[in-house]
Amino acid sequence: MTRLLHDSLRGLGLDKLLERAAEDIPDARDRLDYVARMSEQAAQRVLNATDIAIPLQEELDAGAKKINSSLQALALQPATAEQYQELTNEMMQYLTLVSKNSAETKSHLMEIMMAQDFQDLTGQVIKKVTVLAQNLEQQLVQLLIDYSPGDKKKEVADGLLNGPQINPEGKADVVANQSQVDDLLDSLGF
Amino acid sequence: MADQNLKFLVVDDFSTMRRIVRNLLKELGYSNVDEAEDGAMGLAKLKNGDFDFVISDWNMPNMDGLTMLQHIRADPALSKLPVLMVTAEAKKENIIAAAQAGANGYVVKPFTAATLDEKLSKIFEKLGKPA
Repeated sequence: MTRLLHDSLRGLGLDKLLERAAEDIPDARDRLDYVARMSEQAAQRVLNATDIAIPLQEELDAGAKKINSSLQALALQPATAEQYQELTNEMMQYLTLVSKNSAETKSHLMEIMMAQDFQDLTGQVIKKVTVLAQNLEQQLVQLLIDYSPGDKKKEVADGLLNGPQINPEGKADVVANQSQVDDLLDSLGF
Repeated sequence: MADQNLKFLVVDDFSTMRRIVRNLLKELGYSNVDEAEDGAMGLAKLKNGDFDFVISDWNMPNMDGLTMLQHIRADPALSKLPVLMVTAEAKKENIIAAAQAGANGYVVKPFTAATLDEKLSKIFEKLGKPA
């Protein structure tokens, strides 16, 4: 009975399909995991950057308000040279703070910009999952329609168009970071 | 001091990535930057324009980055153009293929601003161009 079932499955090409599904679906799961991971990392980077940058801006605002009230106070009565000197010093210190906080805020904004690179990487991976799903669907429909051994999926022969490596650890034919790229090129004399 | 007039072509099918590279180039002093979304468009722009540098992705529709690079090296008018690959492709055979096809550098995604700066400088140094 089991042998009969087995032979029927093979006859219909279902065994190949099941084999394929057994491989492709975990692969799709890994890819979606990667998408979730990258998206979350990007969100964390952005939130961390804003957590630091917002207080820097608040500090600038507070400093400006303080100088503003000092200026207004001085304007209300005849001020001494010392008072003007003190205020001038305060303003010079503030301008230094503005340069410092502006530069720091800018670097956090650049970090936020760089964090958007996840969109490219996850986009490439999502494209692959979409293709995978389409292929599975096509094969299933094909089988349903004609109960004959389904057409073999056209192998995407190009081994150089794999997109981001979602799990490079432990793979000998793959690099995991820029440093490994540089080492490989060095070793080849490039 | 960056030669602000150097004309860059950024080739990538994801507009976010093109925008990121454009912003980074601007930070480094290069604001003369054009874009293309695949190798075919990139090649067409290169043949028509006066570009000094190409930064290109690999995995793109219509014509991928490696094929575009091969066409660049095969065209006498373009063969000396510096090409920096910036791509998620991370198999060793990718890196080797790019180097053998004549890429001047290889940056793997995700990358940092510092890495891009370093690789650009390295290429300029080798070419003896003012960076």
